[in-house]
Amino acid sequence: MQPDKFYYDNKIVRDFAIATIIWGIIGMTVGLLIATQLFNPALNLGNQYTSFGRIRPLHTNAVIFAFVGNAIFMGVYYSLQRLLKARMFSDALSKIHFWGWQLIIISAVITLPLGLTTSHEYAELEWPIDIAITIIWVVFGVNMFGTIFKRREKHLYVAIWFYIATFVTIAVLHIVNSFELPISAFKSYYLFAGVQDALVQWWYGHNAVAFFLTTPYLGMMYYFLPKMANRPIYSYRLSILHFWALIFIYIWAGPHHLLYTSLPGWAQSLGVAFSIMLIAPSWGGMINGLLTLRGAWDKVRDDVTLKFMVVALTAYGMATFEGPLLSLKSVNAIAHFTDWIVAHVHVGALGWNGFLTFGVMYWLIPRIYKTELYSKKLASIHFWIGTLGILFYAIPLYWAGFTQGLMWKQFTAEGLLKYPNFLETVLRILPMYVMRSIGGTLYLVGVILMAYNLFKTMKAGKLVSNEAAEALPLVKSENEPKEFWHRKIERKPITMLLLSLVVILIGGMIEMIPTFFISSNVPTIASVKPYSPLELHGRDLYIREGCVNCHSQTIRPFRSETERYGEYSKAGEFVYDHPFLWGSKRTGPDLQREGGKYSNAWHYNHLMDPRSMSPGSIMPAYDWLIDQKLDTTTTASKIKAMQTLGVPYPEGYANIANKDVDKQAKAIAANLMIDKIKVGNDKEIIAIIAYLQRLGTDIKNKH
Amino acid sequence: MFKQFITTLDGNEIYMLGSLFIFFAFFIIATIALIRMKKKHTDYMSSLPFETENRDIN
Repeated sequence: MQPDKFYYDNKIVRDFAIATIIWGIIGMTVGLLIATQLFNPALNLGNQYTSFGRIRPLHTNAVIFAFVGNAIFMGVYYSLQRLLKARMFSDALSKIHFWGWQLIIISAVITLPLGLTTSHEYAELEWPIDIAITIIWVVFGVNMFGTIFKRREKHLYVAIWFYIATFVTIAVLHIVNSFELPISAFKSYYLFAGVQDALVQWWYGHNAVAFFLTTPYLGMMYYFLPKMANRPIYSYRLSILHFWALIFIYIWAGPHHLLYTSLPGWAQSLGVAFSIMLIAPSWGGMINGLLTLRGAWDKVRDDVTLKFMVVALTAYGMATFEGPLLSLKSVNAIAHFTDWIVAHVHVGALGWNGFLTFGVMYWLIPRIYKTELYSKKLASIHFWIGTLGILFYAIPLYWAGFTQGLMWKQFTAEGLLKYPNFLETVLRILPMYVMRSIGGTLYLVGVILMAYNLFKTMKAGKLVSNEAAEALPLVKSENEPKEFWHRKIERKPITMLLLSLVVILIGGMIEMIPTFFISSNVPTIASVKPYSPLELHGRDLYIREGCVNCHSQTIRPFRSETERYGEYSKAGEFVYDHPFLWGSKRTGPDLQREGGKYSNAWHYNHLMDPRSMSPGSIMPAYDWLIDQKLDTTTTASKIKAMQTLGVPYPEGYANIANKDVDKQAKAIAANLMIDKIKVGNDKEIIAIIAYLQRLGTDIKNKH
Repeated sequence: MFKQFITTLDGNEIYMLGSLFIFFAFFIIATIALIRMKKKHTDYMSSLPFETENRDIN
């Protein structure tokens, strides 16, 4: 039989690589900026578009979907073609995928600083962009499966299973976590409320880590590491076990983000149990990677790409050991809401995702440009400066996390909180924030060195846009001999896709369906009433300004928390919260029982200049809320949307709601006048004060 | 630590036992299946990333 002659598309790989570098630098620079804002509030730059609450989502979205996202596509487009011995299915789809993805990122860069956000972490982009993501993701899927169908290699290598699982699971996660009811071009409300919304979000959030930051990277590891070390993967059997166990177990673990909240206890227990099981497949993968280098450790000394891979795998091992530990309730009680979690995710992001990306790029760029790397020395410097950066980033934040978590829980001999002033626990860890930003700077400098090095490499060589290859075409054999069942699956991509889908749906369904349909799981409370229209506006401003990035709204049932914040949270309190705003980090104190704690004047002055009320506070000022007029033209559509979602406003209320807005706003403005504060009752600050004063008051004992 | 964990389960033991069962069942079945897998096949699969010609292994 004559072998087919065909060409691998390297241009698309190169394009994704360049996008990875550019977005990496941008995303990390924004990260550095927000890191410095935490010890120097002046770096919020005095305007709303660069305040922490708005650009923290920009950082997370940029590094996850722009940097890591483009790196995934770079790795997939390179390895898929070679593993299948076929060019990508369609050059046009590749191009649409590339430019579509970049446009989505650009739309995020524009909308997030404008405050257009859904508030769901790592899913902040509003509904039109959600639709665009879905379309481009399908384009990617069609292109990938098209290539799989025209392949010249009968069996699908393990890397491709990981790519398939990534495709199908991200599709499911993204769609379910984007069930939104639009009320205007860039504003929507989530269909689910409170506890249910929280469960969906963290099922998504945790599995975005699993299926965007982990499975595609494991696929890349299974392809690129053997290539770099020039020896096959340590154990192919282990990789099968690793794959199925990982995708099956990961999907259950989401509720560990909601320990001690009002999520039903059984769901929390399931989340904990499966999180602990996750050590097995995660470490299986890490060991499989590291042992691939057995007998080749001498190569690690000379080969910078392997150095990056070894640190990446080590960081993966550390993060996946730490994750299950953090999901133990007793550890979580201290670590949750502190910088410990930030340190944990950055070990994964900087170490695992970052270093694996760098290793692959140093290996891949010279190959598609048919040249040598411009400077091995520079790459080695990048390796060391990057490693130091990770250490300087993570260690201070671990320290900060332990310190603050323990300070929050410290009681005096008399049984009083030792640090009743939240700010005191923040000021104690500011030096750690400074150190962390130094670590971040080191890491970013390394990335810039890499960009220069790779740019020089590209200049020195010439891109082989279409790399010639040849392979025998696949022949359909009539009589397949009796064989092991898994081997059959390895030849059947659609079966693989469906099996992966089934495996990932089980966990999500078992956890979600009872929480949604068994009413005893969310006991209602008679005194909990819907927000007034002004409060609803205030809530949307709270979402727009990203307050949820630093303030939680869920009080755990510990004495240290009920003493500090008040009565612990009940599921029934959140039934009208579309979306839930529990938060995941307490850079500032919890706000669930904020209502009635301070006067309206206090809130006014505090929002205008936080340091006038709390000297040393690191909160940015929100003075634009005083100048900007509240948009009351949307009141009716907001009320109508809430009614559609089941919030019991009286019939026809939407049309008269603005009267109530006016009434409540005038009352607050009049109250502020008592303290000699003159502010128009049509300003945004009135609405946000109304919301803050409502928080948690439904079940508070009225004095 | 574990004592505290167990005493706070109140009625949710079934979920812990269930997950433990799923965990062991999954790994025992997988282990048996993997042991039965032929070495020739695993060697072939793990050589896929390397530029090799199509081979017929049936």
